[in-house]
Amino acid sequence: MANYLRKIIADGVGYSTIIDPKFKTNRIQITFLTDLLEETAGANALAVGIMSSSNAKYKNISEITAKLNSLYGASISVDVVKQGDYQKLTVGVSSINNRYALEGEDISGETLSILLDCIFSPNAQNNEFAKEPFDFRKKDLLDSIEAEINNKRGYAVLQNQKKAFAGENSGNSHFGTKETAENLTSAQAFASYKRLLSDAQIEIYFVGSEENDTIEKKISDAFSKLDRKVKENKFINFSPLKQNVYRFEEKLDVNQCKMVMAFKTDCTDRHAMKLMNTIFGGTPFSKLFLNVREKLSLCYYCASNYSMLKGTLFVDCGVEEENIKKAEQEILNQLEEIKKGNFSDEDIKNSLLSIENSLKGIGDTPMSYVNWYYSCFVQNEIITPAQALEKYNEITKERIIKAAESIKLDTVYVMKGE
Amino acid sequence: MEIQEIYCSQTGDKCNFIKHSSGLKIYICEMNGFSTTEALFGTKYGSINTMFKTGKDKDYTTVPEGIAHFLEHKLFENEDCDAFALYAKTGANANAYTSFDRTCYLFSCSENYLESLKILLGFVQNPYFTQETVDKEQGIIGQEIKMCNDNPGWKVLFNMLQGMYHNHPVAIDIAGTVESIAKIDAELLYKCYNTFYNLHNMVLVIAGNVKTADVLEVADELLKSCENIELETVFPHEPYEIVKSEVYEHLPVGMPIFNIGIKCAPLSGYDRLKADMECYVAGNAISDPSAPLYKKLIDEKLINSTFGFEVFEGDGFFALIFSGESNDPKKVLSYLIDEIEGIKAHGIDKELYNSIKKSTYGGLIMESNNVEAVASNLISAFMSGVEPYDQIKVLSEMTYDDVQKTIIERFDTKNLTLSVIE
Repeated sequence: MANYLRKIIADGVGYSTIIDPKFKTNRIQITFLTDLLEETAGANALAVGIMSSSNAKYKNISEITAKLNSLYGASISVDVVKQGDYQKLTVGVSSINNRYALEGEDISGETLSILLDCIFSPNAQNNEFAKEPFDFRKKDLLDSIEAEINNKRGYAVLQNQKKAFAGENSGNSHFGTKETAENLTSAQAFASYKRLLSDAQIEIYFVGSEENDTIEKKISDAFSKLDRKVKENKFINFSPLKQNVYRFEEKLDVNQCKMVMAFKTDCTDRHAMKLMNTIFGGTPFSKLFLNVREKLSLCYYCASNYSMLKGTLFVDCGVEEENIKKAEQEILNQLEEIKKGNFSDEDIKNSLLSIENSLKGIGDTPMSYVNWYYSCFVQNEIITPAQALEKYNEITKERIIKAAESIKLDTVYVMKGE
Repeated sequence: MEIQEIYCSQTGDKCNFIKHSSGLKIYICEMNGFSTTEALFGTKYGSINTMFKTGKDKDYTTVPEGIAHFLEHKLFENEDCDAFALYAKTGANANAYTSFDRTCYLFSCSENYLESLKILLGFVQNPYFTQETVDKEQGIIGQEIKMCNDNPGWKVLFNMLQGMYHNHPVAIDIAGTVESIAKIDAELLYKCYNTFYNLHNMVLVIAGNVKTADVLEVADELLKSCENIELETVFPHEPYEIVKSEVYEHLPVGMPIFNIGIKCAPLSGYDRLKADMECYVAGNAISDPSAPLYKKLIDEKLINSTFGFEVFEGDGFFALIFSGESNDPKKVLSYLIDEIEGIKAHGIDKELYNSIKKSTYGGLIMESNNVEAVASNLISAFMSGVEPYDQIKVLSEMTYDDVQKTIIERFDTKNLTLSVIE
């Protein structure tokens, strides 16, 4: 396990370093966390999209890619996702270590300069991004929103979330709506860019094979010059349970029906909830997989997922229309079994082994380190994977039953064929 | 048994190769500092291997489409329980997949890898099928086929392949069809199993946190010696020409999605790898965001950032695929053809060629940093009939003239199919 260190380099800006000598690559990523609002989500996504594909020196995607290719395929990536009530926007670079450069190039130094230019010297004038990168990313944003329907499984989960989290930030799509995106102007995107730099919580991660003071100094210098005013953020916001279960359907031209069920909890014992979820539907030996898929052959997939930030557990499955009711009944039945304590010590032991297996694998890729420490940050508890494992190992059967008892059905979405 | 060390002079990486007395080839890559172990037990048996015979057979046997994938599902079950239940006791994350040319069973774990290895070698060598379990599986796989049919990215690819290939089974969905899998019974599964799951046709790859001596001890204990049955697979005759130049289908999608496939003459072994890498560099010199075509298509709002290129190859097929989303795929195609013909006439931009080559090299270095990618590259080398690290060797020996020649020879713009889902 590598050394982990997080420093505060400006108001609401954390800089984390993770050094592991086995890596042949460097990863630097800058993550912005901001309220997920329907009005601003699209503009924020557009702003980071533009940041990741241009700067004052390399003015468009062609120029910047040409430069990065010559740095041995270094790449700038952009990622926009929903994290509870927040929008998480990341711009990051990955590159190979200088020791693999065939002509002695300073790959890490040059990629860092490009990244910092993307953030602090955008291709913009008079408080507007230049037309070329703006048009490119606006079309991308609109196309991405339209393409949400291409992935039916993800689309179904999103449809459920819109109702399960109605009235909460997390009910919004991470890209916002098509209507908002269509009307976005370059000035609005630029204003969002400015706002991200001044208001968002910013978490920066450097993962490399050796300490690099120059990288830290350059990043620290750049961010400490910002005029920052960050509000108090609260990333964990449990979603309230509806009085009556909300059910809705949608008809699409599809072969396979999908069902997504959202369950809410008020249980704050998050490690027990996570372990309960693993036993219920988190593995190929879980209750849902063994019963709904293997025993009754009702679905090709049937799995559960627990959001620690929203206190909400989702079960999703792909199912034949005539089996929808049967599948729902069996999913609820399996949950009842857990509530009644009808699971064995071996179920617990095997689920713990599965959790241990993933925890011990953290650190084999730069991204796994970043994702771990990022999730620690939003959960407001920075611990190592080994410490987390200790917490899981302490969980008793009673705590698992209590966690299961706390969850109640809230919203059911069904996608049917036309 | 002799342990042969294979060394990559370009990166300093190395792995061990063992030709086990049972007939199995084993590749082991010990990676210092990594916690996870990734193991794959694979057979050269994929969806395209529907016609075959052994040394003892007089005639070729033809089996229903989708049977390799069906077999993969069924092998997870033995007489008492399924393999997932066994892995549950070791904590390993287990899975399996079937592609066009292979079936692989895999696990990754960070503890007890030898126990998991025993499970892997055990269940793959112990088939157990009954008519009852076969019938039950038809329901689950039927759902999987339906799910794939709702995936426009999958449909656009297979529609294109059907537009390109007259007879080669690459054009058939890996899982088969609801009708073809209905023809599968326990007896047929045993026949395919006994033919393709012969250790002479298989490979074990294990990378990451492993020790060669320990792996070999488990292998010695569990591998059952196999007689070499002289397996021969054949493909129906496939003309060079495509079937049709356009295939359209309506499905719920956002922006219309397209695949443009150029059909090339098939190759095998090292020649195929060399052609693959040359086409990869050439195709990126045509379609990379730093190339002139990309800029032109973006400026005219004809594509978005999903536009990309891949080389699609295997036994008996070789194609170059440009894919993306567009409101006017035909116009994208016409610009693409102009660009390819222009490069044939005037040559690839030298600077662009060099930067794409450097970027490809960087990509290979990045992969060597990742346990899963290392294991996956080792198994791909075996499946393609080349040596580990041949990719980087081919790349380091590649010249500008090779790539220019490849564009002229293989990027045949008169032999392509446009597939669109809208």
